[in-house]
Amino acid sequence: MKAGPSQEDIRRHNLGTLLRYVHVRGPASRATLAESLGLNRSTIMALTADLTAAGLVREELPRSPGRRAGRPSLVVRPESTRVYVLAFDVGVDRIAVARVGLGGVVLDRRESPHEGRGPVEPAELVATLAGMARSLVRKAGRDAVCVGAALAFPGIVRRGDDVIRFGPNLRVGDVRLGEMLSRRLALGVPVAVANDANLGAIAEHERGAGVGYDDMVYLHGDVGVGGGIIVGGRLLGGQDGYGGEIGHMGVNPGGRTCSCGARGCLESEVGERTLLTLAGRADLTGMTSREAVRAIVDAADRGDVVARDALHQVGTWLGHGVANLVNIFNPGLVVFGGTLRDVYLGSAAQVRSVLATEGMAAPRERVRLRTAQLGDDTTLVGAAEFAFADVLDDPLHVLARLRDPEGEPVGS
Amino acid sequence: MSQTPVLDLRGIDKSFGPVRVLQQVDFTAYAGEVTALVGDNGAGKTTLVKCIGGIHSLDGGDYLFDGRPVRPSSPREAAGLGIEVVHQDLALADNLDIVQNMFLGRERRRGIVLDETAMEELARRTLAELSVRTIGSVRRKVSELSGGQRQTVAIARAVLWDSRVVVLDEPSAALGVAQTQQVLEIVRRLADQGLAVVLISHNMNDVFAVSDRVAALYLGRTVAQVRTADVTHAQVVELITAGRSESLGIRG
Repeated sequence: MKAGPSQEDIRRHNLGTLLRYVHVRGPASRATLAESLGLNRSTIMALTADLTAAGLVREELPRSPGRRAGRPSLVVRPESTRVYVLAFDVGVDRIAVARVGLGGVVLDRRESPHEGRGPVEPAELVATLAGMARSLVRKAGRDAVCVGAALAFPGIVRRGDDVIRFGPNLRVGDVRLGEMLSRRLALGVPVAVANDANLGAIAEHERGAGVGYDDMVYLHGDVGVGGGIIVGGRLLGGQDGYGGEIGHMGVNPGGRTCSCGARGCLESEVGERTLLTLAGRADLTGMTSREAVRAIVDAADRGDVVARDALHQVGTWLGHGVANLVNIFNPGLVVFGGTLRDVYLGSAAQVRSVLATEGMAAPRERVRLRTAQLGDDTTLVGAAEFAFADVLDDPLHVLARLRDPEGEPVGS
Repeated sequence: MSQTPVLDLRGIDKSFGPVRVLQQVDFTAYAGEVTALVGDNGAGKTTLVKCIGGIHSLDGGDYLFDGRPVRPSSPREAAGLGIEVVHQDLALADNLDIVQNMFLGRERRRGIVLDETAMEELARRTLAELSVRTIGSVRRKVSELSGGQRQTVAIARAVLWDSRVVVLDEPSAALGVAQTQQVLEIVRRLADQGLAVVLISHNMNDVFAVSDRVAALYLGRTVAQVRTADVTHAQVVELITAGRSESLGIRG
């Protein structure tokens, strides 16, 4: 049992809060920071001095002359090009790796097609990811420092040790991809692994359609269907971090067999494979899931009745899922991302009709349905945000450790 | 909600000679919301929009803007209030570039010359606020743009003027799926940024994808103004085609 937070704890907390503020909201003047963080100006000055010395932020005169009289307040900017993370997104048919600077700026990225529907050899996957990452790191400036890395994975990941417990569409069960990748990268940073849709939820919450919503649900379609639930501003992880598996919510007892082995899961009723089957378009299986889903929405728009019917059915099941979520979590916002963006826009009449009849009137009243604002990058952006978590928690310590891995951490 | 609607039309009548087009039409639109205006061909949607936009004068009824009675008698007057209409034909000049189109007839001047830099900057910023990244240079001629890009320019032109109400007449009628989806997302974003958006559409998916309210016209009358969250596809179709819906308790 500790007696209250020490001065050091408070300073560390304040440093993290200030850094997080400019990371999420962008450059801010000392005056704005003082006001928003509820700290006095001299404290802000001391904190920014520490962060500047660590190379995390820099202070500049405002770019446009201020309207107020007197000396303009210095603007604190994140050092976006010098402090970065590596974000990995392992989709079923696409791999994306990005170097993302403090402040959330995508500095550089690589993408490659991926054949993730069959068995994937973890060692091969790690080699590919490491290769892509290395080419990004090489292009970073010499004074740039990598402060974290995270990988978005379409599977169930245990919090605590990042073991992938289940990857229905990528058959790499029970491996520690993060550890393997971290060793391979040799940048001195761990690679955190998390469920891709969970990360998509974080991304939309912090930088997308969900800014300002503390209670929201994010639904993500790739080949399968995943989700992330934000409650009270935090991701709902559950006991072991497996929470938010919206794709495996039962909506149709006795329905189609799901990749998880159960029947009638949301994923098995609205996933890409079902949409393709219903639309009679097995010919599209060679395409990526995005292209295939778009082709069906396009066919429906042109008047293809089979495609329209397929979208109607899928939209109806999606509506059942959304109605359940609205009734249980009372979210202010439901966001459709990945391929579900196209499915929602192509079947919104069905989705909302079911919601109108099955959603309870009170929680339904104010819920908003939106598409992902970050487009195809939700999961990648989420991985970047996740990777920044350590440095935002304890900025100076993380920096000191990276700059001088042998010595004792300085300044903390 | 006790919020005052930005646009509140009550008991609007409009005839063209002996032809009665609108009879006792009510229509409201709120800030921050998309109100879908639906109805069969000839139900009076376009006439109502032209009344809102000051193109047609009203024969009778009240036109309240922010709760104040007004009577815009020209598009310029309506624009002065903050009401912009994006018509189906978009009314863009093919031979001019994006900036010139966005400021057509309302050019910024500095002294006796046009302030090209300021207009270009404002055009770029407005397009960026709509999250439009696909349009390229703002100095491209409109004739070089695709259907979706033209629609975007027309919408950007409408929101450039600190508008309060933007009316979109069938914005996705001539567009492919990908472009329609982008336009729908822009429409939604406009409302989320605080504008009152009126969307005319025949496509029920588009209506359900983005609207907060649905106003249905049937043979020149308002048969229903309902919250989209409270109705089903079938009910809206019923309102459009029959002017009533038993399940909603609306009898024509």
